[in-house]
Amino acid sequence: MSYGMLFNWARPSIYIPTLIGGPTFQLFFFAALGSYATDRSPAYFAIGNAVQVSVLAGVFGMTMAIANERWFGTLPAILATPANRAALFAGRFLPFVANGLLVSIYALIVGIIFLGVRLESSSLAVVGLALLTTVFSCTAIGALQGAISLRLRDGLFGANIIMMGILLFCGVNIPLAELPAWMQVVGHMLPFTHGLQAVREAAAGAGLQQVGGLIGIEFLIGCAYALVAFGLFSLLERSARQNATLDVR
Amino acid sequence: MSALRTARLVWSITWFNVRMLLASEFFVLITFIAPLIFATLGFFLFRSGGGTAGQTLLYVALGTGMMGVWSTTLFGCGGAIAWQRWEGTLELLVSAPTRYDLILVGQTFGAVVFGFYGIAATLVWGVVLFGMPIEATFPLLLPLSLLAAIVSLGSLGMLIATSFVLYRHANALGNLLEYPIWLVTGLLVPLWTLPFWVQPISWLLAPTWGMEAIRGATISAQPPLVAIVMCFVLAIGYYVAARFMLLYVLDKARRDATLSLQ
Repeated sequence: MSYGMLFNWARPSIYIPTLIGGPTFQLFFFAALGSYATDRSPAYFAIGNAVQVSVLAGVFGMTMAIANERWFGTLPAILATPANRAALFAGRFLPFVANGLLVSIYALIVGIIFLGVRLESSSLAVVGLALLTTVFSCTAIGALQGAISLRLRDGLFGANIIMMGILLFCGVNIPLAELPAWMQVVGHMLPFTHGLQAVREAAAGAGLQQVGGLIGIEFLIGCAYALVAFGLFSLLERSARQNATLDVR
Repeated sequence: MSALRTARLVWSITWFNVRMLLASEFFVLITFIAPLIFATLGFFLFRSGGGTAGQTLLYVALGTGMMGVWSTTLFGCGGAIAWQRWEGTLELLVSAPTRYDLILVGQTFGAVVFGFYGIAATLVWGVVLFGMPIEATFPLLLPLSLLAAIVSLGSLGMLIATSFVLYRHANALGNLLEYPIWLVTGLLVPLWTLPFWVQPISWLLAPTWGMEAIRGATISAQPPLVAIVMCFVLAIGYYVAARFMLLYVLDKARRDATLSLQ
């Protein structure tokens, strides 16, 4: 229910242009730009961007799901209940993970049909697992941004920065090795980098033994972001109660 | 209304809108920050393919700057009338003795002028971080090229403002139309690399000619006269279409009594 109420884009008139149309054209744009500027195939850019577009659901969705409680005036009612905070928080997560997965799978299908993406049938399950883990960690950083947004005027500003940061730092279009050292360090601390690398390797036929480590690191990064997000949410709740600013916008 | 008063009206609304957009985190993001990120991405991509020449960097900086101009035009103009509705000023503006289309001209030009700050930002970014040279093969034509690009994009913005209002979620249309226009107008990817049927579409779009006019004055061997003329021709076409659209939209809103309804 919270998904339908709090996610502004959960209606066809917004969902289709934003989460179907936008990602489709993003794939074509970067496939055309990347293959023109470098000697890599369009499929390389299609895979990177197909995974990256889950940000729209994971980061923007989670930001809205948490920050909109305040804007819609439902935050005090939620926090007045004795409900377990961890359960409340986790309940926000799952629909956005599913949604992000859906958007990425759709984008991968577009890549397969139009841009020459090939997935080895023997490692489809590994691709799925890597994708699921990546979308989870992406949703986790979205949750952190959502918690931060409880104190901001415009939470989607940060969500946009995260989206663009992932585009630049995480090997979506430029291999990490070609970035300056400091950018590689940032990339390794963000979600996506290891997950996307796992998706790429699995798509080329690597098994769980080869990419299990990458998936594990991605999962740990996601868990770390989720924990920090939950901690921040709890901290802000206490602070808002003490300062009587729960409903202040 | 005299030409002088009209010019003063349009200028004051343009300037007012520039200041309004400057206070918006979202527009600061799409005008200043997003083009810098895309410029960085573009520089690394072209460098990865061996394109490190000064002209390549300038090509990328101008292209990504223009991408920001398009985003600002799309979002700034797409929601122009809808915002007036939300703020409750649409009825007052429509019923004022001043022609409403002139108010809209000022508003859309404000968004486009604001967007052009982004080009300056990407140029500075390229010079400071990537050692990009600033040069212009036809420096005297550059101001005219910029003016032509602003006028054509401003008129296109007016058409966007009057047509997007028919769709309830103008921002969603903005999300949809950002990447395809970046692609089909050749801002970063030359049109000859795209399928042949894309070219006729690109000829109808202001960013194609605006970009060609600016690039023509900076890195091309030929003066961009055709592109400059096409910018002004398209601007007239967009303005006429937008005016008809505006009359239709306002008439419909009056008849349905929905002028102030969201």
